[in-house]
Amino acid sequence: MDFELTHRFNESKQQWDIRINGEIDIYNSSKLKETLSGLIEQHKADICIYCSELEYIDSTGLGALVSILKKVKQYQKNIHLVDIKPNIYKIFKITGLNKVFIIEGVDHE
Amino acid sequence: MSKPIEKTYNEDDIELKLPVNPAYVSAARLTASSIANRMGFNIEDIEDIKAAVSEACTYLIKRHYHSTQADGYKIVFSLLPEKLNIHLCMQTQGSDEQLLDETELGILMIQSLMDQLHYNIGEDGQLHIIMQKNIG
Repeated sequence: MDFELTHRFNESKQQWDIRINGEIDIYNSSKLKETLSGLIEQHKADICIYCSELEYIDSTGLGALVSILKKVKQYQKNIHLVDIKPNIYKIFKITGLNKVFIIEGVDHE
Repeated sequence: MSKPIEKTYNEDDIELKLPVNPAYVSAARLTASSIANRMGFNIEDIEDIKAAVSEACTYLIKRHYHSTQADGYKIVFSLLPEKLNIHLCMQTQGSDEQLLDETELGILMIQSLMDQLHYNIGEDGQLHIIMQKNIG
């Protein structure tokens, strides 16, 4: 299973609204990194990723997100992750990345 | 009555042999969650097992440059009473230092997700990752 990514620049909020459906793993994590990297070069803005349909992310996917986070931080911007499923929140929690990204709309316990 | 033929394998073992290709890690995840579901693990544990198997496959694939090209890797799921044992192995040509990296994120994740994890290079040059999850 692959992932699908839709993106739109939200003019009123001045941020990238991104929705990811499917699974991110070693097969496609480099594609995620390239896509997000391209967007941030277009508009140096916050990235807001809606994850309600994101079914799975592995360590290479996390690595891709961390490398994009480093990039956006250079422009004093941030990455928000919204509506993460509990199984994926657990992955962020055990890796300590729940403290690195801004995670919204999840039941933390 | 004749004596039954002695089996050299566990009849409840399930083996999966995969090419060293990132495209098929999802096949390993699907197999793992299907087996864990059939064994009666709860949903949270099934997700843990799925993620751990995926990380183990990724760990092997990332070290494939030490491997002989023609070989893939093998996953054996042993369905034991009250626990699932998962054994991955791949033939390698590298040294221990290059192949066993306990600081890798995937290994740290498996340690959190599973009840037991061992990994080593066998005398046969195979890189083994063995992990276990208990039911309940």
